[in-house]
Amino acid sequence: MTLFTKSDCTRCMELKNQFDLKALGIKVEKLDSDNAEALSHLAWHGLVEAARKHLPILVLDDCSSLTDYNEIRNHLAQEAQKTGIACVNLFV
Amino acid sequence: MGTVAEINKMATASASTGPERVAVNETTDMALFVRTSQEDIMGWDRKRIVEALLRETFIDRDTAENISCQVEEFIRSSSIKMVTGPLIRELVNAKLLELNLEDTRRMHTRLGAPLYDVDQLLVHPNKENANVPHGPEATNLTLAEWIKKEYALLHVFTPEVSDAHLRGDIHLHDLGFIDRPYCSGQSLEYIKKFGLNLPHSLAMAKPAKHPEVLLAHMVKFAAALQSHFAGAIGWDAVNLFFAPYLVGMSDREVKQIAQMLVFEFSQQAVARGGQAIFSDINLYWEVPKHFADVPAIGPEGEYTGKTYGEYEQEAQRFVWTIFDVYKEGDGAGRPFFFPKPLVHITEKFFQTPGHMEFLHHICDVASSMGNTYFVFDRGDTAKISECCRLSFKLEATDLEDAREPWRMRYCALQNVTINLPRIAYEADGDDTKFFTLLNDRMKLAVNAHRQKKAFIEKLLSYGENGPLALLMMDQDGSPYLRLQRATYLLGMVGLNEMVQYHTGNELHQSPAAMKFGLKVIAHMKLLAEKLSKQHNMRFVLEQTPAESTAYRFAKLDQRYYPSAAQKAIKGTLAYGEIYYTNSTLFNVSHPMNPIERVRAEGLFHPLIEAGSLTHIWLGESHPDPKALADFVIKVFRWTQNDQITFSPEFTSCRDCGKTSRGLKEACPYCKSRNVDGITRITGYFTKVSSWNKGKLGELKDRYRSKM
Repeated sequence: MTLFTKSDCTRCMELKNQFDLKALGIKVEKLDSDNAEALSHLAWHGLVEAARKHLPILVLDDCSSLTDYNEIRNHLAQEAQKTGIACVNLFV
Repeated sequence: MGTVAEINKMATASASTGPERVAVNETTDMALFVRTSQEDIMGWDRKRIVEALLRETFIDRDTAENISCQVEEFIRSSSIKMVTGPLIRELVNAKLLELNLEDTRRMHTRLGAPLYDVDQLLVHPNKENANVPHGPEATNLTLAEWIKKEYALLHVFTPEVSDAHLRGDIHLHDLGFIDRPYCSGQSLEYIKKFGLNLPHSLAMAKPAKHPEVLLAHMVKFAAALQSHFAGAIGWDAVNLFFAPYLVGMSDREVKQIAQMLVFEFSQQAVARGGQAIFSDINLYWEVPKHFADVPAIGPEGEYTGKTYGEYEQEAQRFVWTIFDVYKEGDGAGRPFFFPKPLVHITEKFFQTPGHMEFLHHICDVASSMGNTYFVFDRGDTAKISECCRLSFKLEATDLEDAREPWRMRYCALQNVTINLPRIAYEADGDDTKFFTLLNDRMKLAVNAHRQKKAFIEKLLSYGENGPLALLMMDQDGSPYLRLQRATYLLGMVGLNEMVQYHTGNELHQSPAAMKFGLKVIAHMKLLAEKLSKQHNMRFVLEQTPAESTAYRFAKLDQRYYPSAAQKAIKGTLAYGEIYYTNSTLFNVSHPMNPIERVRAEGLFHPLIEAGSLTHIWLGESHPDPKALADFVIKVFRWTQNDQITFSPEFTSCRDCGKTSRGLKEACPYCKSRNVDGITRITGYFTKVSSWNKGKLGELKDRYRSKM
């Protein structure tokens, strides 16, 4: 799974604070003016336009994606539960 | 002009009587005459060399005198009886070179064309641009372009930029139109509100009262704009802005206006250089959101008291009828080449009653004649599209301008294309070197834009008495050309071949190749944004149409990088029909499912702000309009693709005048072999006989989809 974020995104920060993304096996791709690699991955998944409207975006292993913050949060919580990795702080 | 013998005789006669004899003797002591550039013959005068050098360069007088004496001595010793101005200039330039005065020589350059080249040009067609016909007016255009190209490369651009163009690292488009911007996009509202009041025009016309007159103003204004822009002239929401003039008209009368619109633009091959105006009409089934509440302008430039949202019915009737005209084709049943109809597909389109019937109608035209362009504006995107795939995306401030749509005037100032395969050859598999070279070429292209901008600003500074007076006309508080809103296009050619050389696979052959291609374009986009901030100019990526550039780059790379280029160049080497794949397109010969091609090519489109397009080459197949409509909906809903077209092929018989489907060697009706093919070259329909060799190679390779 890949989580697309950017630096001035409050909700991206919230997810990073709530979950141990690395332990969940989630690769974080930060979109910024120097990161062509991240932008090209975003384009590969057909999400450039979606990312203009909302971030974070979570791309799942089957290449489907979640753009709604609450859906992303719920999905990550379920993953954490499945793998037994505790959320860092779900109340952030 | 007499023969040399006659002129010598004249010289002898004049030398025997008047004071000229003294002058001639004093200078050369021989009957030497000079054919000047001012269409006369003058006696030899060494001082003219000195005057020219001092006037045109920064050379000091003593050196100029010295050079003039040396040239005079050379001519004397060679026993020439008559010389020409150009020859003297070249002799002087040779002396400047001997003295290592390179800058002075550049300033003293004479622009022109060899006799042989002009002779060839007058007889043979120029195939650099398939939209240039062959005739006296076209050769005027080409000759003027030759001079202006040379001028641009010597005087507008720095040697670094010019040399990069000449080597084929980059391509500076439309050098022959160096003294004008590239493309223009606007709406009818400007002429509806202000009439046709052009600088230095012999007559001023008030705002039109009748639709026929509005159309006449539109066509004339387009011709005036064509004389001030190098490329396409695009019109926004044409059916909507015509609508207030069509109230109460019968269907027959509306059809007449629609026919006049299409025929006037398609038969405008009497304007600049005998070219048809490269014209685009943006069309909507719905009333675009940003125009729905805008007060409508009607006859005589007066507000009608209604908003454009209230003219939906008239706008729909007009756009439907325009496509009736496209479906019928011209007098011989051939597809119209211009104006190109671009239909915007938006979310609101699908919410507007009658959209499916209309979609079937325009898909019927796409299937039978190929004219329709489907432009996808997803979400809140709004844009004006034109040229082969150029689009001006409307930003928040532009949408505010929509309240007064005559303000919505956009231009791209220039297009500079980067030769991507060459970067791969030079990097030879080294990623770091590859991206360093790409950065260098992008910066070079940006420098080219800055230099052209400075030149255009200089021309604009002469104001209403200057060469770009039309672009400086001020009817609404700002010049017609809104330079602060101009975009500067950064194009690319041969992404497919670049990826092929660098990764070992073409774009369609492996995900790794595709991902590397996306990384290159993403890198270009981010760098363009950085450079935009640095220079306070809008540098945006555009898929270069590359009608001649794809051929030119391939030829130059074949010359300079023969072993590397032969691994990537497409086409038939034996016939010289070689090319690179346009912009970010996939290999045209690859047999690919059309929806997969549209999806995969569309992944690049959101990274390319100023316009992208995917072609579906139909060949002889004539798909069901309903199947095409389903296809269009899928593309809108499930892909990121910006724009698609379906391109059928036709054979037009020069003997019986009939048109048949497919590209054929002989006319199926009369069996004559005196036929010409018709299909899309890059983004517009043309006759195949006018194509350059590279494009002919591509045409042979194209995979035709059966839908």
